Amino acid sequence: MKVKQVGDPREIEVEIMVRDGATVRARIDGIDVVAQLEPLADGAAILQIADRRVRISGARTRNSILVAAGPASFEFVPVEGRAGTSRHGLAAPEVTAPMPGKILKLLVTEGDNVEHGQALAVLEAMKMETTLYAESAAVVKKIRVGVGDMVDHGAVIIEFSPAPADLSKRESPAPDA
Amino acid sequence: MRVQSIVGVECRPPGAYGRLPQNVKPRTIKKLLVANRGEIALRIIRSARMLGIKTVAVYSEADAGAAHVAAADEAHLIGPPDPASSYLNIDAIIGAASATAADAIHPGYGFLSERPEFASATEAHGMIFVGPPAAVMAALGDKVAARRIAMDAGVPVVPGLDTADAGDLATARGFADRTGFPVLVKAAAGGGGRGMRVVNEAAGLAAALEAAAREAQAAFGDGRIFLEKYLARPRHIEIQLLGDHHGNVVALGERECSIQRRHQKLIEESPAPGLSASMRDRMIEAALKLARAAGYRNAGTAEFLVDGDNFYFLEINARLQVEHPVTELRFGCDLVAEQLCIAAGERVAQLAAPRGAAIECRINAEDAAHDFRPAIGRVIKLNLPAGPGVRIDTHLGVGAEVSPYYDSLIAKLICYGADREQSRARMVEALGEFSLLGINNTAAFLRDVVASPAFARADLSTRFLDENFPHWTAAGGDLTAALIAAAMVAAGNLDSGRVGAGAAAANAARNEGGAGKRTPWTELAGFELWGRR
Repeated sequence: MKVKQVGDPREIEVEIMVRDGATVRARIDGIDVVAQLEPLADGAAILQIADRRVRISGARTRNSILVAAGPASFEFVPVEGRAGTSRHGLAAPEVTAPMPGKILKLLVTEGDNVEHGQALAVLEAMKMETTLYAESAAVVKKIRVGVGDMVDHGAVIIEFSPAPADLSKRESPAPDA
Repeated sequence: MRVQSIVGVECRPPGAYGRLPQNVKPRTIKKLLVANRGEIALRIIRSARMLGIKTVAVYSEADAGAAHVAAADEAHLIGPPDPASSYLNIDAIIGAASATAADAIHPGYGFLSERPEFASATEAHGMIFVGPPAAVMAALGDKVAARRIAMDAGVPVVPGLDTADAGDLATARGFADRTGFPVLVKAAAGGGGRGMRVVNEAAGLAAALEAAAREAQAAFGDGRIFLEKYLARPRHIEIQLLGDHHGNVVALGERECSIQRRHQKLIEESPAPGLSASMRDRMIEAALKLARAAGYRNAGTAEFLVDGDNFYFLEINARLQVEHPVTELRFGCDLVAEQLCIAAGERVAQLAAPRGAAIECRINAEDAAHDFRPAIGRVIKLNLPAGPGVRIDTHLGVGAEVSPYYDSLIAKLICYGADREQSRARMVEALGEFSLLGINNTAAFLRDVVASPAFARADLSTRFLDENFPHWTAAGGDLTAALIAAAMVAAGNLDSGRVGAGAAAANAARNEGGAGKRTPWTELAGFELWGRR
């Protein structure tokens, strides 16, 4: 299966090839990994790769897989083959809330042409302000929220249509958006 | 033994309590309302119980199932999840205290802990406020007034625009041009780095002033800001203070809090590595001078920036600090119990000289690999560290929820050792043992920081994380293990949520479809490890 971490564009292919008793053979981005698995009574397990032992636990949510590997925590989402991330030169067809919070400011209005990296909205979450930026040039098609609205993680804030002059050019996402 | 370096004003020998000054009536605390939540509410409840004091918890609708509610003798609902309607709602909290016949209120840290109007409202209702007097808090809580107190006491301060009207662009611009960029914009009220901004050039000044004022207004209800010269690579070192009703003020050594991210402390330790005895004595002397000049009472902390052989007063935090446990471990004391005893009119305890070294790591519900964005969720599985010299202060348990309403601190891990290296080694091991499924958190990041050569060398400054960990990602080994675990979860061969009943129910709620329904995962799995094929 192909996954990526929430908030990280990098896609990683992982397959369990064989499981034979305690031995698990996996292939991660084409590289074979052999691990020893010891299930624990509490639902977690110890995974040993070479001489490194890591306590792992995992569970599924509606649209992600949560994993703890030692002190490190991960949230993976599936990369679906059919839904490309680039359509008509848009790095993303919409801007979604990266975390639950309150819309503090909307910096664009419907019909605006926005540039790659342009500030779109300010979200307040856990008492911090986070600015959301355009990942490519685009036209603001629809704004789905108002100032003061509480939004959930993943809620659509702004919908885009492609920038008129720039249909073919795909820009890379802002590094810190 | 004379403990000159830690005790500023001589304490009476133990037992020689004498008569209280005429203006101090000894009062007994029988029932304490804890006006806070999370780990600190639990922490305060524990000390109160040890002293035989009954406890009242207050909670918002989001915290009905929280640990502090269960731990207290009584609990009182004070309002909706939004902090302004609950944990910041003075009327609701005073009302809860009256309704439960509490005779004292402990504010913890954050929330109302540094709001003089809360202290006065508490006293006005005939209850003891466990903290400094309202007037002292008002003077110290205003950073501009606090700077004035420091300057009058002869304590050095960072060059700054010594008026609260730095909001005026022309005045601010004039100061910045005179001092030279970068300058630091700060909120006059509050603390914890909120409303703070570094401005590198004149072009950014107006926007920074506006944003800082807005954040300060939102966070503290006070939009006043001020300006300071920005020191490029300072250390942040603070002195713990305790003052009583009898004019005694003592200092309990220092804490180094240089490991910060955007002015939020992440790792604190004591003693401050490499701090010379003479420098420590000078800082303690300055802290005691400040406390006496301000008429300080109860627990407080004088914060300084240290730049080479110079130190500059930053502010006094008129409350218990998040990082108080590092001092407790070195002095073998209980600062919350001290606060309660002092509030009841007792003298500050005579404390032995500090021993060993302690380090605290703040584990936050944040995604350290992705710009520390806040994380929320429910604890599905939790493995807490243990062992010699390991202490963990947390309100988390399986099933506990981290909501978006409150700050992201979920656990404090504190390790003690005979010396810094032993406490550091224990911290690396303890963080390695910590494992939390369900909420993204910073434990692995902290482990990598504490294990790093730069931290081991104690090459510390407030720029430490920018210099050494600008873009942290999880170690390759952890990612590999996590990917294998994820593939096993997708294939239905690992479900750590099934064991804990509460967590399983919570998990099922998040996993709306339940078994049998086609989800992206059942389609992706495509391969069963143990299945009937």
